[in-house]
Amino acid sequence: MMEEEHPISTWIVDDDPIYVYGIRKLMSFRGANALVSHFPNGQEAISQLKNLSDEYQLPDMILLDINMPTMDGWEFMNEFAEIRPRLGKEITVYMVSSSVDLNDIHRAKNIPEVTDYIFKPVKGTHLTEIFNIAQNRVNERLKKYGT
Amino acid sequence: MSFTEKGTSPGNNVSPARLTDDPDACIWEYNSITKEVKWSAGFYNILGYHPNEIESSAQVFFEHLLYYQDKHVFLDALYQSRLNQQVAPVPIRLLTKNNGYQWFESRIKNPENSYNGTIHGLLVNINIYKQESITFADKQFMHDEAFRIARLGSWEINPLKPGVIALSNQVYDIYDIQSRLEISAEEFISFFEPSYRVVLQQAIDHAIKLCRPFDTEALLRTAKNNLLWLKVKGIPVIDNYGHCITLKGIIQDIDNEKRKQLKLEQSVNLLTDQNRRLQNFAYIVSHNLRSHTGNLQFMVNLFEQTDEEEERIEIFSYLKTISDSLNLTIEHLNEIVKIQTEITNERSVVELEKLFKSVRSALKNNIESINAIVEYDFSQCTEINYIPAYMESIFQNLLTNSLKYYSPGRQPIIQCYTLREGNHIYLIFEDNGLGIDLNRHGDKVFGMYKTFHQNTDAKGIGLFITRNQIEALGGSITVESTVNVGTKFTIRLV
Repeated sequence: MMEEEHPISTWIVDDDPIYVYGIRKLMSFRGANALVSHFPNGQEAISQLKNLSDEYQLPDMILLDINMPTMDGWEFMNEFAEIRPRLGKEITVYMVSSSVDLNDIHRAKNIPEVTDYIFKPVKGTHLTEIFNIAQNRVNERLKKYGT
Repeated sequence: MSFTEKGTSPGNNVSPARLTDDPDACIWEYNSITKEVKWSAGFYNILGYHPNEIESSAQVFFEHLLYYQDKHVFLDALYQSRLNQQVAPVPIRLLTKNNGYQWFESRIKNPENSYNGTIHGLLVNINIYKQESITFADKQFMHDEAFRIARLGSWEINPLKPGVIALSNQVYDIYDIQSRLEISAEEFISFFEPSYRVVLQQAIDHAIKLCRPFDTEALLRTAKNNLLWLKVKGIPVIDNYGHCITLKGIIQDIDNEKRKQLKLEQSVNLLTDQNRRLQNFAYIVSHNLRSHTGNLQFMVNLFEQTDEEEERIEIFSYLKTISDSLNLTIEHLNEIVKIQTEITNERSVVELEKLFKSVRSALKNNIESINAIVEYDFSQCTEINYIPAYMESIFQNLLTNSLKYYSPGRQPIIQCYTLREGNHIYLIFEDNGLGIDLNRHGDKVFGMYKTFHQNTDAKGIGLFITRNQIEALGGSITVESTVNVGTKFTIRLV
């Protein structure tokens, strides 16, 4: 990835500090061109989304955990679906969880705003892949709108 | 009166014998002095003989015609008539020519006033009726037997006299009542356990007033103080105007079946409980253990990908944290397994005040650090038969919970008290803390690793354990809460 490319604004919404440390490390090992913000639960992330008026500050991608205190991933998605039409940017959401519960997986895949379900621990190749997809989308948008 | 004299027909003589000499009846005459016996033509006829085919003598009658077992009956009647007593008709068996023994009714007329030794008698063939009555008696016997074996009794109430109840013998048997004394409807119901009396009285009233049939099960305490499950059914018989004219019903002893059914229901409930705990267990394994092992794998991979000493040290410190968390989760799993094994422990009498005080003093530091008021009142139920370790754990978890989630804006007040309602004993635990938004989290409050506050030491294990302990002993726990007002746990202990 080239340094001059526009960085992918990535929000990690997860209450597990070890995972957050790990994913940041993995991104740096993989040379992902990311601008990372961390929110310990859904509540804080959704408040931030609602408060941001400037689309430059909105994320390109959200890596969302399921089990979190205060507001879990499901509740976050409910609120996200409501505010999404008002957001001036297309945001890709990945649900990232260690749950192998089929109920959880089906439920996530049935949410139209969720792009995919990723199992923890996240594999390096998988991370590179989703960043490449994100990078392509960002580049396309830049070509179209220049922003 | 004319009799055949050695077989000669009476010709055109109109005599009472003609009236009685029909195919089923005949008359005879006996002179006790001359020992002479005269039979009407019908006498031969009803036995299937031609006149004169057999000799009309006392010897033939007693030795050949009359069934030997009926001799004494006939002779008794004869004797009574000679004493000029009122003689009731008696049934006897006589041998017919072609159809074997048949039943006859023998009536013996008292000698007339001018006693000359002559006795008259009448015989009527009652074979059909007698056999029917025997068949009927057989059926009645089978019928009674069936009711007795089925332990089924019947009752009947006349709406005009609703206090009176007619009962079959089997009802008395089921009630263990020796005598067959009449009992009133109220007394009939009073044998049932108190909670069923109201139900039954109402069912009977409704059946009479609204013509509504009923079919219910109720627990009876018999005269011998045995507890017996009964099926009680009532069906109103209605007239053309739709009014109940009688209420017919049955009671049946269904004790065996009912007890088996109750036992089965209990096992099903137990199984459902255990199944739910197993599912919880599977959930913990799939979610919590997996999240740790996932992290472990994650860190090991990162460790391998870097050569920098500083990074490796950092990653290793995380590995240590994961190892601790993994250990803790295993401990929690162990606690859940312990609930299952401790349930077989003996229950014993737990003095609530003493136990609560000891839990409170163990948490003294936590209480004092937030200046909380912890009050209790166990006057409504001072002690309970429970597994002591469970009760201690329940107190401890709920108290810790209230202390942890106090509202900093006011002095924390925590109240614990018991209530008695009906057969149940309740333990109430109330605080004025942060509260939980039950609309959002209602279904998860007692789930494992569910936390609702941004509190670093919230582990989400306490209430899960508490609920499991309470339910393992057949109780239940519910929660009411308002955010920023407080939380109230209501525990039905028994």
